[in-house]
Amino acid sequence: MPVLYALIVATLFPFALGPEDALLQRIAGGVVLVTVLLAMLLALDAMFRSDIEDGSLEQLVLAPQPLALMLGMKILAHWFTTALPLIVIAPLLAGMLHLPVQVMGVLMLALLLATPMLSLLGAVLVALTAGTRRSGMLLALMLLPLCVPVVIFAAGAVAAAQQGLPWVAPIAWLGAALVLALVLAPLACAAALRIALDA
Amino acid sequence: MTSAHAIPLLQARGLSFLRADEPVFGPLDFTLHPGELALVEGDNGSGKTTLLRQLAGLLHVDEGELQWRGQPWNRDACAGEVLFLGHQLGLKMDMSPRENLHIAAGLHGARDGRDAASVLAEVGLAGYEDEPVRRLSAGQKKRAALARLLLLPAVLWLLDEPYANLDRAGIALVNRLLEAHVAGRGAALVTSHGAVSFHGGEPKRIRMHD
Repeated sequence: MPVLYALIVATLFPFALGPEDALLQRIAGGVVLVTVLLAMLLALDAMFRSDIEDGSLEQLVLAPQPLALMLGMKILAHWFTTALPLIVIAPLLAGMLHLPVQVMGVLMLALLLATPMLSLLGAVLVALTAGTRRSGMLLALMLLPLCVPVVIFAAGAVAAAQQGLPWVAPIAWLGAALVLALVLAPLACAAALRIALDA
Repeated sequence: MTSAHAIPLLQARGLSFLRADEPVFGPLDFTLHPGELALVEGDNGSGKTTLLRQLAGLLHVDEGELQWRGQPWNRDACAGEVLFLGHQLGLKMDMSPRENLHIAAGLHGARDGRDAASVLAEVGLAGYEDEPVRRLSAGQKKRAALARLLLLPAVLWLLDEPYANLDRAGIALVNRLLEAHVAGRGAALVTSHGAVSFHGGEPKRIRMHD
């Protein structure tokens, strides 16, 4: 479903902006990044929903295992099922928008670092809003400011690579932020979930 | 010095729960020893489910004191020893009863000499082990959830309306499970509206309000 969404959005851009090579080339990296992140947002809402509805989240919280670790695994599984397919079709989307082949590697690298970040940050927010019904809108609003730096660094790396400038610095920043999120987000997610269920 | 048998499994003194500063129930006082069964009684909305969720560790303790084996209650001390079965059964609808039990056993561990197949046969789901839970009837789903009680090594069972959706044989099954659990020095807190008959002696009663 997110894959189809990303495919449709990326396909519509050349129709809306006209098939001008230079223009598409310039925006290709940004369009693919934003499309992939938005497509992920679609599926984010569902991360814990079914578990809350059928009560299996309660059982998970009460199990004698470290909750943060189990949630980390859930986030990983979520990333595998929603983000990975998007990363796989990303070269196709970028190719449709005439992104130069040399830049493709940097785009993939940026996506590989940015999408887990979004999954981790999103999971914390999903956990925080777990108690409220129809939290999709709230979730999108809260996630937006957190997405902005991710998009800036990822798109910055792709743009720098496109202009032949060094692109390692933004990628390194993304990597550093990902490591931080990898350690802290599952802990925050576990705490948020306990609070959300405690009502 | 008190002997190990005298230490209650669970002891509550002046336990209450507030939601938006409104008391939901309490203050409640009760003790539960290993080998004891307590029936939580009260009308709709009297806080029976809230009490059970609080004892399971899903809700915080607002006022009063809760002790687990003589020590102040904390989540880690009783994790794995308490099994909570609420209105939501915690079953994955797209998975079979067997797979659901494997998940539960993976999280909690299993009792010695028990496996999913034997436990499912005991709750009357033989032949349905590999059917997706979605396709089972409400009563069968309940039985699939009850199978967890047999498989997991918990001491304290917190059962919220375990008789709901069950037929006569199912009700007898729950009573049989409870008797066997209590006989094995386990303890259970059960909420129920229906008339419940236990053959293993008169259960303790916890009234939510006087």
